[in-house]
Amino acid sequence: MQINFGGREIALKLVYYGPALSGKTTNLRSLHQLTSDRSRGRLMTLETKDDRTLFFDMLPLTLRAEGERQASGMTLRIKIFTVPGQVLHSSTRRLVLQGADAVAFIADSQTSETEHNAASFLDLRENLKDLGVSIKGLPLVIQFNKRDLERVRSDEEISALARRGKEPVFKASAVAGDGVLETFFGLLHVAWTKLDAEHQLAKMLGIESGALLPMAARQLGLTKDVATLLSSCVGGRLDQQAQAPP
Amino acid sequence: MTVDAPAVLVQDLLFDERVRLEDIIDRDGLGELCKSFVTLFGIPVRIYSSAGSLLADAPVEGELCAYVNTTAAGRQACAATVGGAKSRDPGESGDVVHPCFTGATYRVLALDYDGRRVGRLIVGPFVPANVQDVPASLFAVEPALDKGRARELLAKMPRAKPQTVMRMAAHLKSALDLLLFSGHRAFVTSQMHLASVRESYRELEEKNGRLQEAFDRLKELDRLKSSFLATVSHELRTPLTSIIGYSEMLSEGLAGELNPEQREFVKTIHEKGGQLLSLIMGLLDLGKLESGTMRLSTRIMGLEPVLREVISTLTPVALKKGVRLTLDVAAPISDLRGDPERLRQVFLNLVENALKFTPSGGEVTLRARMAEADSAEAGGDEGLTLLAPTHARVEVRVIDTGIGIPPRERLRVFDAFYQIDSSSTREFGGTGLGLSIVKRLVEGHRGAIRIEDNDPRGTVFVITLPQPEPTMAEASRVA
Repeated sequence: MQINFGGREIALKLVYYGPALSGKTTNLRSLHQLTSDRSRGRLMTLETKDDRTLFFDMLPLTLRAEGERQASGMTLRIKIFTVPGQVLHSSTRRLVLQGADAVAFIADSQTSETEHNAASFLDLRENLKDLGVSIKGLPLVIQFNKRDLERVRSDEEISALARRGKEPVFKASAVAGDGVLETFFGLLHVAWTKLDAEHQLAKMLGIESGALLPMAARQLGLTKDVATLLSSCVGGRLDQQAQAPP
Repeated sequence: MTVDAPAVLVQDLLFDERVRLEDIIDRDGLGELCKSFVTLFGIPVRIYSSAGSLLADAPVEGELCAYVNTTAAGRQACAATVGGAKSRDPGESGDVVHPCFTGATYRVLALDYDGRRVGRLIVGPFVPANVQDVPASLFAVEPALDKGRARELLAKMPRAKPQTVMRMAAHLKSALDLLLFSGHRAFVTSQMHLASVRESYRELEEKNGRLQEAFDRLKELDRLKSSFLATVSHELRTPLTSIIGYSEMLSEGLAGELNPEQREFVKTIHEKGGQLLSLIMGLLDLGKLESGTMRLSTRIMGLEPVLREVISTLTPVALKKGVRLTLDVAAPISDLRGDPERLRQVFLNLVENALKFTPSGGEVTLRARMAEADSAEAGGDEGLTLLAPTHARVEVRVIDTGIGIPPRERLRVFDAFYQIDSSSTREFGGTGLGLSIVKRLVEGHRGAIRIEDNDPRGTVFVITLPQPEPTMAEASRVA
């Protein structure tokens, strides 16, 4: 996170991590399509000819504070990055991960990919450790993508695992746009809750803590309300992660 | 293992970098874009960065402007207007009108990228469509100007409705935005690429460091092993000499007559003592070869007598086993620089080995030829014309019809103590030292040894030894 008082800006960095071909870029593309261009910029993708992410993708969102003290004119800039999933781009992954405020882990639901998901998660943990960040303190949500495919892990299995786990879990079919906004808002929710508690960001923006997500939904031109989006979360401890400390 | 945080911090670059027009736009290209705008619409444009520097312009001086500039007061007023337009802030709305005293006007528009202001676009001067006549402000600046002429020239100025100008400007802005996006993406990519390369390099350096450490440690251990081997072998040899000596004296009856059984026992002690000694000598040789302390007493020598001696030494063994042993030296082979004793050891060992692994009824041949450099060995046919004459070699082949050596084992058999099949030690005996000593001795002669197949059955050990390079004295003798 960066706070620039002179520029009246707060910048957040959110990273989509996960194994190769799990649909990180597809998530960003869908997010780009599902949001209005009033608040989001161009999607920057750097891909090779076979559609594999080379360095990263980046989608910038710009939210303007609208509240009682909107005259403060503060802007919340959110940059969403994806990492290249291929194993060989390890150093690039670490560079992109640097300074991340929260991570959405995009897992592939196919049963055959279970091991790759686990390996990528260990890679995430290792890279964070190299960067001097403990995964414990990092807001994290998990998305099980590709729900539309056959031979995927069952809903029951995922729900059962999610109940045991700490991270909020979302199910998605990013290629159809399903679950994409839900995952993003889940991610924004956990990131915002932690950073607001630590840095009183709401105060800086001149809004109520609980007003950010509805404000984001409005400015991104969404028709669904935030509660509906977040309610699709299975298992994990979204609310507990989200609970602002007293 | 702890790794320091990456040395290269690209956080700012990737995270929330501020884009500067100056960094990512090609000025010449931008100038061309402005010119094409002027060609298309007839209205001049200028582009300034947010820092205020002019990045591109396509100036067209209107005739009215030229006319106004003919007078001192006109020039002054014109400069003030243009200067004002240049420094005009387009404000929150990003669009302001900057009028000129001639009735023409400028539009100052904000250039934004990624939600931030990066520069200004100035369109004009043009005459708004609703301005019909030269205004009084023109003559307030310079009363001496001719009204009729001014009116005539004003009509020649580019004329547009404000909405039309806005549409043109919007078009230019979207083209610029695309250029900025592409430029920015390329900029970020190259920065990221550099950072990735640096990061990978850092990682590799770290790994190299660790590998080098491990390598150094292993080298040191290897040296310690060799020196231990040499010391122990030396210490073992001393008492063994006594065992061999006294058992020999006993068997010769120097301490009184022995009965046949006793003689048999003592003979076994003597024989096994001899075997142990040759093993220890082998270890000593290896130790010396590895530590580089073995000195070859080389001189110009003929190889053929050495080979003959080897054959005559081993002929009884071959006869006993029922293996045909032949020497094949077709043409005279040239002398080489070598240590005859050590070369004898090499070929004795190889032929002995061949006999050992060749069953009764088989054949072992020792063949010597002059050979040119093997093109594969010399690294292909490139430059063979030049290299071949300097690479004449003596090639000796030890050919057997024995059990053969599988290709994947061919390099490892030269490792000390290596046995292809440890069970064969029982069947064929041997310590696994012979070939490693042979290889080192051959290499000590600047030669090479390799293994080939003997189709359909058996092994060929190929030893190549270089011809001596003629010394000055020898060269002059030849001349």
